[in-house]
Amino acid sequence: MNFESDIENSYRIKQSTFCKYVLITPNKEVELNFPQMLELRRKINGLTTFQALNDIINNENFVLLFVADRQHLIYLDIPQLLKLKKEIELFFLDFNPVLV
Amino acid sequence: MNTTAIRKQMSIHPEVMDLLNNQIAMEMKASASYLAMASWCDQRELLNSKAFFYKQAEEEREHAMKIFTFINDNGGGAVSPDVIDVNNDFESLRSVYETGLEQEIAVTESIFKIFKASRKESDYITEVFLQWFITEQSEEEDTFRSILDLFDLMEGMPLKMIDERLPKE
Repeated sequence: MNFESDIENSYRIKQSTFCKYVLITPNKEVELNFPQMLELRRKINGLTTFQALNDIINNENFVLLFVADRQHLIYLDIPQLLKLKKEIELFFLDFNPVLV
Repeated sequence: MNTTAIRKQMSIHPEVMDLLNNQIAMEMKASASYLAMASWCDQRELLNSKAFFYKQAEEEREHAMKIFTFINDNGGGAVSPDVIDVNNDFESLRSVYETGLEQEIAVTESIFKIFKASRKESDYITEVFLQWFITEQSEEEDTFRSILDLFDLMEGMPLKMIDERLPKE
């Protein structure tokens, strides 16, 4: 029943300190610094191209991904992968300073 | 003004950074391609052309390194690229230079694309950084066009004689 809401609530990124971020997954919370965030973004962008998604679907249907300088291994199926991509996009969308 | 967390970490726009990383790959591919051209000329004792392409290979790598350090200096993450599918097979010296010109035009167009993106995202740091590259590309294209003009002017002359009149750099 809660499959979608589980995905929606997991794979979130929050900022903990000035240069520390936390990736919240269903199993654990992974601390990341900014270069590790950039690397995660690069990997997720690489895994979510049309071709890469097709390859995943036609093979194992999931990916195992090292994060935080290979200190953590996370399992992602396609909906989780897409959710994480969306979350990272939102995180990096926040680039431009806001005029208040 | 409310500065965001990402802006505090990096001065260049993330999407512009992606394009710059693609540009690094393109420059490194160009460098490898010029090295293949240099080898083709070197094997045929075309001394000026080989010197020219060895120099071009170095210059393209320098361009890639310039972008590489720029990304990291501005808080981004530069990526060391894969270089694959380098062509080592050419039909003539003229075709080597024609391929070189096409490669330079492709690099110029790619820089224009990043320039436009940086302007769209108000990433003025990248925009200013790229101005040097635009001037450089204009010079590179001119060099290749001048060489191809020489081929036209010296049509029918022995290859070695044409090579001796070509610039070494």
